[in-house]
Amino acid sequence: MSMTLLYIEDDREIGSIVSADLREREYNVRWLQSGEGAIEEAADCQLAILDVMLPGLDGFTVGQRLKRAYPALPILMLSARTSIDDKLQGLQFADDYLTKPFHPDELAARVEVLLRRAGASSTVPLALKHLLVYEGDNRVIRAGSGEEILLTGKQFQIFSYLLRHLGQIMTKEQIYEAVWGEPYMEGDKTLMVHIRHLREKIEEDPASPEIIETVRGIGYRVRA
Amino acid sequence: MKRFRRLRLPKSSLLSRYLLIVVAALFFVPVIFPLSIMAYGFFTSMTVPKDPADYALYTKVTELEQMWHEEALLLQGRSAEEIDERLQELSRKYTRASMFWVDHEGKTRLLLEPVAPVPGASAASRPVIPERWTAVDAISFMKSTIGNDPLGIVAFIGDREEAGEGFMVMQVSRLVISSPTVEILNLWFILVLLVFFVGFAIVSWLFFIGIRKRLLRLQRAMTVTGPAGMPRPIPYGKPDEIGRLEEAFNTMVGELAESRRREAEEEELRKRLVADLSHDLRTPLTVIRSHVHHMTKENLTMQGRESLQLMDERISDLGTLIDNLLSYNLLHSGRITLELKRKDVLRLLRESAAAWYPLWEKEGFAVEIDLDAEPLYWMVDEVWFRRVLDNLYQNIIRHARSGRYVGISAGIRQERRVIMIADHGKGIGSRSEAKGAGLGLSIVDLLLKHMELEWNAESSDEGTVIIISHARQKI
Repeated sequence: MSMTLLYIEDDREIGSIVSADLREREYNVRWLQSGEGAIEEAADCQLAILDVMLPGLDGFTVGQRLKRAYPALPILMLSARTSIDDKLQGLQFADDYLTKPFHPDELAARVEVLLRRAGASSTVPLALKHLLVYEGDNRVIRAGSGEEILLTGKQFQIFSYLLRHLGQIMTKEQIYEAVWGEPYMEGDKTLMVHIRHLREKIEEDPASPEIIETVRGIGYRVRA
Repeated sequence: MKRFRRLRLPKSSLLSRYLLIVVAALFFVPVIFPLSIMAYGFFTSMTVPKDPADYALYTKVTELEQMWHEEALLLQGRSAEEIDERLQELSRKYTRASMFWVDHEGKTRLLLEPVAPVPGASAASRPVIPERWTAVDAISFMKSTIGNDPLGIVAFIGDREEAGEGFMVMQVSRLVISSPTVEILNLWFILVLLVFFVGFAIVSWLFFIGIRKRLLRLQRAMTVTGPAGMPRPIPYGKPDEIGRLEEAFNTMVGELAESRRREAEEEELRKRLVADLSHDLRTPLTVIRSHVHHMTKENLTMQGRESLQLMDERISDLGTLIDNLLSYNLLHSGRITLELKRKDVLRLLRESAAAWYPLWEKEGFAVEIDLDAEPLYWMVDEVWFRRVLDNLYQNIIRHARSGRYVGISAGIRQERRVIMIADHGKGIGSRSEAKGAGLGLSIVDLLLKHMELEWNAESSDEGTVIIISHARQKI
């Protein structure tokens, strides 16, 4: 089932090229040239892409209204403005922010990350090397044998946090604070121990891990 | 004309008001004193019992003395009996006085006590009159009469010492001569003067208290600022010097508010201009980039693909340049406020490196990150600190790509904890051909200064290390 994206862009040229590109990537795109009617159109959309400078209501206002109407709808702001205030104002309700001129591949990558984070694609298992991950059901299956890998609560939380940020490097602090919900203390080995146990369960060769990669000095990453 | 105007004292002037007080005080003396005496006379005539009428005989001492000397002259060559008789006559006229006379042998002849003694006069204070007078008695008597009570008037009979007929003395109580009225009058004047000076002091004091109060009110108005950081105008008072000062202050506040408003307007205009400019420059770039991307899907030669790749990179660079240019404009105008908070900068470095890592990886950079140290807390604005790091990393990608190396570490230099960002490029000196690098570093410089951070670059042809430290934080 393909995703439906609401795309609001007043510039016809950019709008048509970006819509075409997203359609090529197998998304249904609903392109509006102003914020009018956005709330109704967004009803069955999985994500909204908003330009900041729009005729009539600006992108921030439209975004805030959309967020109020559909709190779970991920919003990606596109802006041609520079001011840092814009970024802060945008990020108060938007989930991500991209500055023009953006590369269509980057837009597509961000859309994919946002959709995954929103859990919109959880019904489809994620294939990672020899694993199939059903995020919605908290299940990890070895693709070859169909055998389920049993993870502890913390192990699954760590794994699913990394999966939600697929391809991104997450620092120790970010992972610890997201999973344990308390500030990370420098030198704390808890996370390292949990990741070692997680690797022993999911990696084919825990000594040279292929799924959870260590980025020295920074943190961990699960590559797409 | 101006000088003339300055000399004019309008009725409402503080100076003229104070002059009015002083002039009133001066006029007070000749006007109020006679008035007070009249009032006193009026009241005493109503309340105090009058002195007996014959007191009037004694009030003028010189006349008394003259009369006594004339009598003494008339008695020259008279017999003792005649003198006695005359003195008795005089005693009947001057009933309040005592009289006696001494003959040429120094014998006291007649001693006449006052027919009507003065009430309150003490007989004890009168000097002793000897039966026979010696020179010593005469001298001590004379001494006792000077300035004492009773007053003694002495005259030689024949009014000449050479006559050798003795002398005659009249003694009058001073109570009769100087009526108590005079003393009470003196007291009255002292009281009036006292009241006058106290009154003058109080009026002057109230006058200056009034001025002080208004000056303090003005001072408060100048120092206490309202919610917008502006002093509030004060209500107009009297139209004097301070009133004019208040008026001038209100005018100044008004002008200040107006200038602030204009400044805010200009700033708003500048921000809008920057935003519009950014929008107008970026929109066509986005279109071009989208078209370039579209073209990459066509069947192209290797060279064509490379050209498109280069175009795409340049568009990206141009986007960054526009961002830097406009950010610099806003930053330089001092209009961006940094929200400084205590943050672990090593954590910010890790997070920022995490975001850049994929690009370094793609470019084939060797990345060395050594940030395993105690957290390093500096007061920074998180968003702008990331911007500093972004600009530094951007510079490495653009201008030190040949070294294919990024090193991020924490260390100690000159007793200070520092963070270091190193590359193996050809050094900053060789970057002159890479225009645009200066702007990114200018922003870095401006931002770090705002965060009280110091930075310097150690550059050689083997690479550059950017060292950032806190200006005041030593180990």
